[in-house]
Amino acid sequence: MFDLNLTSEQIEFRDTVRNFVQNEVKPAAILPARLEPFAKPLLSGLLVDASRMGLRTLSLSEAAGGAGADMLTTCIVLEELAAGDVDIAMTLGLTQGLAHALFDEAMTPEQRGTYASKFLDDDQYHLALVEADRGAGSGAGAGWRYHRNEEAEADPGPVAVKQSNGDLILNGTVAFVPNASIAKLFVVQARTDSRKTGRNGITTLLVQSGSAGLRVVDPSSASDGAGAQQMTRWHHGSGAAVHFENCRVPASNVAGKEGQSPLAAEALQIRAGLQIAAVNLGLGRCAYEAAVDYARIRIQGGRPIIEHQAIGTILADSAIKLELARNMLWKAAWAADNGATATDPRALELPLHTIARVYTAEAVLEVALGAAECFGAMGVMRDMPLQKYVHDAHVFLYGADHDSATKLEIGEALAGFQRQAAA
Amino acid sequence: MDFSLNEEQRGWQMEARKFAEDEIRPRSLERDQIEDPKETWDWDLIEKGSKLGFRTLAVPKDWGGPGADFVTQAIVMTELAKGDSAISKAFSQNWKWSHLIARSCTQDQKERFLRAFMADDRYLMGRGITEPNAGSDNRMPPPDAPKAGYRLKAERQGDEWVLNGEKCFIANGSVGSLFFVDARTNPEVNVRQGGTLFMVPKGTPGFRVGKVFNKRGWRFYQNAELIFENARIPHANIVGEVNGGVKASIGDTTGGDIFGDLELAANAVGVCDDAIGMAMEFARTHTRAGKPVMEHQIVQLKLNEMHALTEALRSYVMRVAWERDQGGPVGANAGLAMNLSTDIIQKVTRLNMDIHGAEGFLMNARVDKLVRDAMVWTHLAGDTVQRVKILKRLGGGGAAAPKSAGAH
Repeated sequence: MFDLNLTSEQIEFRDTVRNFVQNEVKPAAILPARLEPFAKPLLSGLLVDASRMGLRTLSLSEAAGGAGADMLTTCIVLEELAAGDVDIAMTLGLTQGLAHALFDEAMTPEQRGTYASKFLDDDQYHLALVEADRGAGSGAGAGWRYHRNEEAEADPGPVAVKQSNGDLILNGTVAFVPNASIAKLFVVQARTDSRKTGRNGITTLLVQSGSAGLRVVDPSSASDGAGAQQMTRWHHGSGAAVHFENCRVPASNVAGKEGQSPLAAEALQIRAGLQIAAVNLGLGRCAYEAAVDYARIRIQGGRPIIEHQAIGTILADSAIKLELARNMLWKAAWAADNGATATDPRALELPLHTIARVYTAEAVLEVALGAAECFGAMGVMRDMPLQKYVHDAHVFLYGADHDSATKLEIGEALAGFQRQAAA
Repeated sequence: MDFSLNEEQRGWQMEARKFAEDEIRPRSLERDQIEDPKETWDWDLIEKGSKLGFRTLAVPKDWGGPGADFVTQAIVMTELAKGDSAISKAFSQNWKWSHLIARSCTQDQKERFLRAFMADDRYLMGRGITEPNAGSDNRMPPPDAPKAGYRLKAERQGDEWVLNGEKCFIANGSVGSLFFVDARTNPEVNVRQGGTLFMVPKGTPGFRVGKVFNKRGWRFYQNAELIFENARIPHANIVGEVNGGVKASIGDTTGGDIFGDLELAANAVGVCDDAIGMAMEFARTHTRAGKPVMEHQIVQLKLNEMHALTEALRSYVMRVAWERDQGGPVGANAGLAMNLSTDIIQKVTRLNMDIHGAEGFLMNARVDKLVRDAMVWTHLAGDTVQRVKILKRLGGGGAAAPKSAGAH
């Protein structure tokens, strides 16, 4: 069976979010006053509205108080949100994904008892994942080790040391943690076993905002004087630096087993990657729709420019790329939802999530550049959204979550290479 | 064939390289990062460059200028752009109008404007063509829509013309002393038959500068609105003839016709050189997964591509400049080189970003700047209209039919 029908529930979700984005998010996101400054503040009022619609708890199970969306539905919703504002989509995507990972899977019943109602009742309760900086010069992407095994390397993440009473003392700094500036609960991936490397020996700790020994520092000041080379912020959503200085975490706040983080599970990593691809896709659609709308009303050469072959080709190429990206993303999401029950095992041999991620990032940059071209000089003006779409597309393609070595993960899968972890 | 530079050309190259390294590059990123588009300009830098001859490089020797040939102009633009693409353009923008004055202006106009230009280190020039509803239509007027194109109106009153209307995105708009402004003197026919070119000095009553546009790239180089409210221009300030504006500015046999195309292509070579320098340095000094970045094949292939594309563009640019200096016909090559420079500068600056990658959630600010600067090439040098219109010079003439052409 091959079925491209969405359920009536998925269609309802999509249309509800599409209306919200059209009427509320987009008008606020593209105000020149917001676009012109270099920093684009998070639209926090709209985050609350989105939470009331159930988007902060989207993939949290219904039993735990969420909407119980599967991966495909989550992708559909995140694409719609991102078509209005990438930053809102990234923020909500992160919180709702972590909510599912924590409340449905990683937490003990006691931990759920402590945190679930706080989380559900507060529309401004967000979650942040604190882990060793990705790609901070170390080339964390597996693709850089193409066909080579993991090597023991010092990793710069937070470290926790167990005390005689079972509490853990947490120390360390992470330069940038997405959602940190708005998070009320930090999920910390701390190294508790220094003899192990990579994901082995990592323990997941729960730390509430305001805890003694936890400091969240706005990155605009945190990145000052970071070296001779001037750097610019390169991320979506919000975030900040997180410092732990002798932060005491009670033993009851260890999620999962010590030294075996439940968040390192491959399924969760795949979900996180697909979410980013969905947001990336929404960005591409946003740029494409702007170009189509403009090409229908802008008259040059004696007719609406959409009637010129040259513009028609750009828009057709964009439509092709977005359709292919969405088809790949939905297939990968379907595999994530149905992997265990898929009747054709060959469908799962390739890392579909990586293919979706790589293709979408490449395709959307092309789409954004084509859209900007349709706007002529207006395409580079900071009070117009096109240049922001182009910037956002660069951040996806050349960002911390993705780099040119990512493709090699597909190459390794083709060769059947299994990476041996060090130690 | 001889690819060597003569002593004078080599001298200008060294001078420009030194100025770019000592003066432009240290201020480049700082000016780029200023948020207010009106504040990115730096007069001190312009004055210093002017004293070295970079503002007046193309003015003929008879008028006291260096009278540099096209090879020299191309080399200087490339060298200055290695320091900062937008700052290089701020200087070379003046050369374009020096060519125009030399070619199309009367002796009286040269006395009044070229002398003033030579005498003042802060005297800059610009050209006002684009209007909110006239972009591509100015570049390639559609035969079946005679009213398309700029609409700024000029009406004669005795010895004066009264101008009303608005120009947008005008280069050097906020800092220029003299503007060449295209106006419609006969609104009933197309711009080729009803357009006239006026010289409008700063301070003309009824003429003022509006907002400065906030661009994503080329932030140093200012584009502004020019607003005309009953601005009165003497008849003596018309370039060429009434209703002969297009003729006055094209068909220039001294080379002004190719300069605009050559300018963007030569500037792009400098940006590509800068990107290559940054990528090579990064690949030598950083490691990924325990190996120098330079030793990864995926990086080697990108560096190869960056070098090959840049050297190919450099060769093309120098050939176009050299051919013009020899007095030979340039044909379509200047325009084709300009189109190609769009693809190459954007590809090469992106490969540089690709090689650097993100450092955590940060990106090298200059790597990002080069990508942003390269983005302006799309609408200036490489959109579909810029490509289709070159076909005329390839004998496609009428084949560059408006119905099959893109426009923006």
